[in-house]
Amino acid sequence: MTDMLLVVQLGGRRAAIPAERVNSVIELTGLTPVPRAPAHVAGLAALRSRPLTVIDCGASLELEERGEDDRTRRAVVVEHEGHLYGLLVDGADDIVAAAAEPTPLGADPGPGWSRIATGRVESEHGALLLIDIAALIDGPGERPERQAA
Amino acid sequence: MDDLLAEFVAETREMLAALAGEIVAWEADPADRHRLDTIFRFVHTVKGNCGFFDFPRLEALSHAAEDALADVRAGRRTADRKLVDMVLATIDRIGAMIEEIERGEPLSEAGDDALIAALSGSAGDAEIALEQVGGAAHAVSHASEQRTIRLPVELIDQVMSGVSEMVLARNDIARRLQLAGGDTGLEAPFSRLSALIAEVRDAITRTRMRRIEGLLTTFPRLVRDLSAELGKQVFVELENGEVELDREMIELIRDPLLHIIRNAVDHGIEPPADRRAAGKREAGMLTISARQTGNTIHIGIMDDGRGIDCDRLAAKAVAAGLRTDEQIAAMSREEKIELIFEAGLSTAESVTAISGRGVGMDVVRANIEKFGGTLEIESVAGEGTRFLICVPLTLSILPSLTVEAGGQTFAIPRSYVEEIVSTAGGTLEFAQVGERRFVTFRERRLACIQLGDALGLDEADEGAALFVILRLGWGDLYALAVDRIFDHQELVIKPLAPGIMRSGLFVGCTQMDDGTPVLVLDVAAIGYGAGIPRELHRPSGTTAATGKAVHMEDDSLRVVLFRALDGVRRAIAMSAVEQVERVEAAAITRPGANAQIVLGEDILPLAGVPDGAELPASLTILRLASGNERLAYAAREVLEIANVNGALEPVEGEAALAGVALIEGEPAELVDCHALFARRCAHSAVSRGLTCRLDGEDDWMRNFLGPIIEAAGYRIVAGNEEADIAFVDRPAAAAAEDEPGAAARRAIRLRDRPEAAGDAGDSIYRYDRAALMSALLRAGEELAA
Repeated sequence: MTDMLLVVQLGGRRAAIPAERVNSVIELTGLTPVPRAPAHVAGLAALRSRPLTVIDCGASLELEERGEDDRTRRAVVVEHEGHLYGLLVDGADDIVAAAAEPTPLGADPGPGWSRIATGRVESEHGALLLIDIAALIDGPGERPERQAA
Repeated sequence: MDDLLAEFVAETREMLAALAGEIVAWEADPADRHRLDTIFRFVHTVKGNCGFFDFPRLEALSHAAEDALADVRAGRRTADRKLVDMVLATIDRIGAMIEEIERGEPLSEAGDDALIAALSGSAGDAEIALEQVGGAAHAVSHASEQRTIRLPVELIDQVMSGVSEMVLARNDIARRLQLAGGDTGLEAPFSRLSALIAEVRDAITRTRMRRIEGLLTTFPRLVRDLSAELGKQVFVELENGEVELDREMIELIRDPLLHIIRNAVDHGIEPPADRRAAGKREAGMLTISARQTGNTIHIGIMDDGRGIDCDRLAAKAVAAGLRTDEQIAAMSREEKIELIFEAGLSTAESVTAISGRGVGMDVVRANIEKFGGTLEIESVAGEGTRFLICVPLTLSILPSLTVEAGGQTFAIPRSYVEEIVSTAGGTLEFAQVGERRFVTFRERRLACIQLGDALGLDEADEGAALFVILRLGWGDLYALAVDRIFDHQELVIKPLAPGIMRSGLFVGCTQMDDGTPVLVLDVAAIGYGAGIPRELHRPSGTTAATGKAVHMEDDSLRVVLFRALDGVRRAIAMSAVEQVERVEAAAITRPGANAQIVLGEDILPLAGVPDGAELPASLTILRLASGNERLAYAAREVLEIANVNGALEPVEGEAALAGVALIEGEPAELVDCHALFARRCAHSAVSRGLTCRLDGEDDWMRNFLGPIIEAAGYRIVAGNEEADIAFVDRPAAAAAEDEPGAAARRAIRLRDRPEAAGDAGDSIYRYDRAALMSALLRAGEELAA
């Protein structure tokens, strides 16, 4: 059995989210900001009658350059610990089959990425980082960044 | 069907169901006093409720059964086989009538008269009555069996969330229809669909919810019995926003609540002598409040007793080997108080029957935590203790107020909202103390919090014109400044992701009709977070702490001091106050001189509502009772219990006020209970100024008869004094020789059995109120002529 992967664009890179975790991919329109929320929480939206906590993946990754754009944004909807989350991505267009079992990261993919990646997986798009959804949702405040110690 | 009537039917049916077991037990052992009492209470309640509706047949029947049972209770009659059968037949018949009432049918004649006659024991053959009733009763038992089914809660949850989705889908369609404009031909079916969805949503919500009131109102009685047993005086105040709770949850919190209340009465509140020595009122105050915040219900139990002796607690912990001296030395007072939750610690010197040993606070907390709740405790030595139980409410409709701050919309649970005030009227006074702004609201200085500031949003205009006055769980008030106020709405609360909950500012989120998510504010966290003081005492209660001597003279009148709706301090005799509770203004009908209020199953006349007054969203109601007469008095809040022993200054032109007294150095108007009740009794006009003497069986005369005679406008004189009218509780023949009543111009004779014996033709049954009142009226008119 091969795992299916959703290929997403994040900060100009490709990464993969296990397709079995993905509820749907939606276009977000309105967003209710949440005062005093962590920086990577973009706000609240609603998916039918359920609240959707929208995660700004760029902020969660602490990517330096993030273009603020007003166009409709694409969000990957996942369910995590009983709550629905919308992960804001730059693009989500393809579902591919994993060519092999995920392997450890090996070389450090860089700050931010190393925190949210669980491993590397081969696909027809080449090697993709496999995203740890929990880490993405928790944001940078939760786990101290891995530093050379 | 009328709501009240539906309630009556449902309640009676519930009681019937609960009674089924008792009846069987009573049948087996008619001498069982406890069962007899239960059945008596049932028929008594039914009879009482009938008074509000026009069911003479039902009333007559329950009345007859009540009389018969009263005789058995008084030992005048034995519960033989025949009587038991008749009572059972009566209860079946009541069940049948309830079914008929529910179906809206006229009550059928099914041998009621024969049954009533048989019950009264005066005539008729019980067998016939039983036969006639039998058929109808059996038909009922089949009908009622199928009226309830048990459902797993999950299933209801599932239906509920489905209905919520339907509401949103409906709103979506509504918007699209509007956009399409013109005549699509869909409007009529759509509005029908809309109404249906609303109906289903209401119904499914109600299946799970029950007002917490039903649980809370059992406590005043419990406290009264407990405190009487312990020789203490405890005054209970109930505050319940219109909080509704899962049926299941109500059952779960019953035991922990009972335990905490028992503890408060037993260990918390001191005996009167100790309280006096400590400079407190003799009567302790126990406040039980319930509030809803998002998915949480907060139940507070606060007493003004001795507080928890944390040092003794600590010493016990050391003695029990739970902590070392070093550990104790490093603990704060709060941490020491937390020791009460350690297994095997109890501060009571002795084990009493009421709190017992066995269950400690540790078990209570564990039980609350088992269903996802929390139990917190705060205590100040010598001043009191407060417990806060928070239990989750997984699925709830929350009545809310939506407001705007910093360009964003938020919802506030309505149970916290005391009032909305605006600077537009120019009635608000502000004071700046350091960085904090205060607003004066009903003579209290309340801290202001800008909602925008608290949330870190763009700073709003300093001269914000709108304030929502919020009342937190313990009566702590503060003013929340907002930019706009939108609407009251019933909202479905959904939990928030933990990342958002972490800020502690919100309790959940909800959706507006167009699907936009709206955050629900945790007003308690915002208030306390911004430094609102947690007051264990109401500000007015602190007078006791200022060192003012409190005189407790025997001839002083104990009063409940409160703030009336017009803002004036008033006092009312404590003996007249039966209960204090908080209600929504919606319970009041016809504000003004003839106002009435619906309290639970009662409709009472409501005094204290000025003509044309604007009512706050919720108010405090003092339930007053005198004999059988009951009425309610509206107030903003109860301040404290005090003693009046100074002179009363009369108030000109105010019939309902006995005068003005100085209480705690400030004037307070003393409500004239007599005038209040007299006005309720329409037949007071002629009789004013006449005196009345009560001859005989002292307690009953004074406690039962006295108040209604006084309320009718007669002055009661003592002993053998001369009087215009005398009430004598012996028939003329029996009393001929020891008749002391020569000094009365008219005598009204009472007998204690409903039926007149041959020698007592001129006497009146003591509970035949109509005859009593008309005899009194007649005597008064004759004397006046």
